[in-house]
Amino acid sequence: MIEYILAAIFAGLLLHGIHRKVIARVQGRPGPPIWQEILHTLKFLAKETWIPKTASQGVYVGVVAISIGLWVAAFALLMAGESLLLLFALYVLHKIVEHGIGLASGSPYTKFGAIRSVVSAASELPLLSSVALIYLITGSLMLRDIEAYQVINGPLLLPALPAAIALYMVILSKIHYGPFSIVEAKELVSGYWTEHFGVWRGVMNAAFGLKTFVLLYAFVMIFIGPVGVPVALLLVFLLMISLSFVCAATPMLAPYDSVTVQTVTTALVACYIIYLGVFA
Amino acid sequence: MIQVFDLNVEGRELFSLSFGDIVPYFSVYTGALAAFVIIFILIAIFSLPERQMNIAFGGDAYYAKEVNVPDMRFSRFMAIACGAATLGAMVTGDIFNFTLFAVMVGITNIGIVAASGNKHVLNAAFQYGIVAMLATVPLFGGAALILATTGSLSIWVLAGAGVVPLLAKALLVLGVMGEGIAPLYIGKAEIIRAQGAPYVLMIHFSSLLLFLRVIEIVLVI
Repeated sequence: MIEYILAAIFAGLLLHGIHRKVIARVQGRPGPPIWQEILHTLKFLAKETWIPKTASQGVYVGVVAISIGLWVAAFALLMAGESLLLLFALYVLHKIVEHGIGLASGSPYTKFGAIRSVVSAASELPLLSSVALIYLITGSLMLRDIEAYQVINGPLLLPALPAAIALYMVILSKIHYGPFSIVEAKELVSGYWTEHFGVWRGVMNAAFGLKTFVLLYAFVMIFIGPVGVPVALLLVFLLMISLSFVCAATPMLAPYDSVTVQTVTTALVACYIIYLGVFA
Repeated sequence: MIQVFDLNVEGRELFSLSFGDIVPYFSVYTGALAAFVIIFILIAIFSLPERQMNIAFGGDAYYAKEVNVPDMRFSRFMAIACGAATLGAMVTGDIFNFTLFAVMVGITNIGIVAASGNKHVLNAAFQYGIVAMLATVPLFGGAALILATTGSLSIWVLAGAGVVPLLAKALLVLGVMGEGIAPLYIGKAEIIRAQGAPYVLMIHFSSLLLFLRVIEIVLVI
């Protein structure tokens, strides 16, 4: 299992590097090499590390451990074909990680990042509507059942298109340099994780790489079905490229606009679910 | 009769303990949530609070706020009580007990915020208290409707039966949203002026966990 986790972290960090490269090329810049995020992570892991004097030490260190634990658990449940509801729960708990990282250090910059993280809690709502719609169509929330359903009935991408759009929005809201990346905006230095450096930053980079891989792979599993690992990885790559194009061409939204867009998306999917429930 | 774990919603059964029709149970889902609650309770017990950095107006000086020890002890007690209530809400197999734990989370959340002597923070705690109090109406109303229409409040008994009115489920969700609305007040004032980690963090954590549990209950019953 450990080799799969390391491979997934490596793939996630590589996707982050590709993301930065594509954004740069769309914007007419050369951009960093695609392995830059892997180098960053290795560099941070080898740097001198301590805990700021003003920090709540338990939270400062604990949330870093929780962040990597969360996404390792999410990856494991993806591999085991466990409940989509649990994946949703782990995604929601990631919000606590953002919040905890921001609150732990005592710095006003990280604290504002944490506030924005709370305000943007609406980013979880589209995922909830996705889960509900998938349950309505397939009658199960177990990932292996959802895959089995797609083997018989074809990919869910078209029948559950609003859910796919909602999940795409969720992934977009968690991707770096995106229109919804208000929690790590540059006016807050690096946002909620400004004060986490050295090994803490390296571990968090690894966790966030794993997060990106898990979310993209989950999208492929849920909406395309069992296609084999090479094709799934190709689809993950194409999905990442599409997200990079959106990020390159879209300015970062103001915090309340970001919340409004995510809430409206949820409302549209909810209307579709009600329509399906009543008329279909 | 359909069992909770026949529904393919929350993973396989890990543990169940029957007290008549009331059955506290752990699935992979609720077990994972309960494990996270225990981790956060331990963090609240053993971690000292952060010392906030403040900018002094009119210059470029900054200073670290001092931690008031009696206030800190009260916040810590409330945070641990909040964690215990959240754990109860994760473990219970009874809808009425769930609503009671949700209300207890609301009360302890007010306590965590109200420990600060700052008037802005106290104002936020007061407003949150009103919302939490109002939210008990749909919360207990939802549970009462379920009992009146089905004759049971056991999640185990109601699972998959499809007899719970949609209105009751909506009221239950609305009540939990009211009890767990504290994060919006965090966004407003106290996060800046009250100590954040680890006590205020527990407010957000308990609210999200209640939300996650009520979704499971609503999907199952």
